[in-house]
Amino acid sequence: MEAKKIATAGSLESSDALVTISPAAGPGVEYKIDSIVMKQYGRRIKSVTEEVVSASGLSGAMVRVQDRGALECTLRARLETAIGRAAST
Amino acid sequence: MPGNLFGLEERQIHGLSDLEARFRLLASRGLSAPVNEDLILGLFEGDILRATGSLVGESLQGIAVDRELEGSGGAAAIVSSLIKAGMELGRKHFFLFTKPHEARIFADLGFSPVASVAPGASAARPWEGQGVALLEWGEGSVDGWVRQRATADCKAAGFARARVGGVVVNCNPFTLGHRALIEYAASQVDRLYVFVVQEDRSLFPFDVRIKLVREGTSDLANVRVMEGGPYIISQVTFPTYFLKPDKGGEVAILLHASLDLAIFRARIAPGFGIGKRFVGTEPYCATTSAYNRLMKEILTSPEGEGPALALEEIPRFEKGGAPVSASVVRALIREGSLDKVAELVPAATFDWLNSDAAASVLERIRASDSRH
Repeated sequence: MEAKKIATAGSLESSDALVTISPAAGPGVEYKIDSIVMKQYGRRIKSVTEEVVSASGLSGAMVRVQDRGALECTLRARLETAIGRAAST
Repeated sequence: MPGNLFGLEERQIHGLSDLEARFRLLASRGLSAPVNEDLILGLFEGDILRATGSLVGESLQGIAVDRELEGSGGAAAIVSSLIKAGMELGRKHFFLFTKPHEARIFADLGFSPVASVAPGASAARPWEGQGVALLEWGEGSVDGWVRQRATADCKAAGFARARVGGVVVNCNPFTLGHRALIEYAASQVDRLYVFVVQEDRSLFPFDVRIKLVREGTSDLANVRVMEGGPYIISQVTFPTYFLKPDKGGEVAILLHASLDLAIFRARIAPGFGIGKRFVGTEPYCATTSAYNRLMKEILTSPEGEGPALALEEIPRFEKGGAPVSASVVRALIREGSLDKVAELVPAATFDWLNSDAAASVLERIRASDSRH
């Protein structure tokens, strides 16, 4: 499943995360993750993001997560929605 | 209920009554409506507008939040709505102007600082108590832009900072005046970077302007002609440069000019190893002449982000007792005296003006009264 267009989900509001996915040149997936709680939860946010992306089979994409303290279920929902939007035509 | 983000509805602002409400909200926060907006968004509570912001190219402008929503995430809500709307239009990188003391709010939203100008009060900095900070968000950054272009050959050559120069030019089109400035500056340093303003708002398109600069300086071995990119006199860093003077307002022009210079000092010059900036005196254009005055203030002051630069102002190159400038060249073209242009421009520029490719540009110049 290739990223075909730029897609976003979520927001920069407190307790949410803004996920943006854009098509990239190669077949791989690049990540850029930033969070206001990077020190405490950075590793978990990164592993959840990679897990959701690889389960979806997304390829050729730049995935950017701007976290504002979202719960894990929120982050998963935002990721799944953004991936679905990026892959649909 | 005010003070609560739930139940706010986001929609684009089109209609006259919504536009009026937005104008009042902006005015209540001391703002005026931006120009050239691509998209205006509002967050509404029922029929009441609680927050607004707009997208102008890559920059988020005119952001205002109702006092009742302040501190409860209204700014974050409108900023993320704008970013998402911009992304859907294919943009990946965004800029935002704010006041220096409010920059922190946006840092939490993932914005990083490009440069800022402190509130001023002196005659040289007449923007009392305002100041401005430019922030960016998304793919790409000013430091990344500089790293990509400040090629290793400068640092590897081991040039001292004082022996690396920078010039910023628009060259609309390239004249003997530009040539004289660049030739002199190049003779004073080991390496001269010539940044050509990239914004395509001038009568001569960017690709033509930079091509003529390259051809007109190809004999100067230590000159590197570079694209000015988004961080040197662009629609983002210096929006009022591209407006007719009456629209911008003197203080806004000075403030934007200062920000542009602060970016050069804090970000561009250190990345390229530039220690000295050269500029020609400006006899005609009021905006450019104000910009030159500020250069001394911003670039050479001991205070400010980034090491201070040396500045050398060079008198305009004259021919027949009058300064040679691109605006004179355009005026000659406008009145149909293309033959007289030959004395004011290098051969490469004159040849291009007489080529088929120039026809549409010459036509536009004759039909326009633009400063640029």
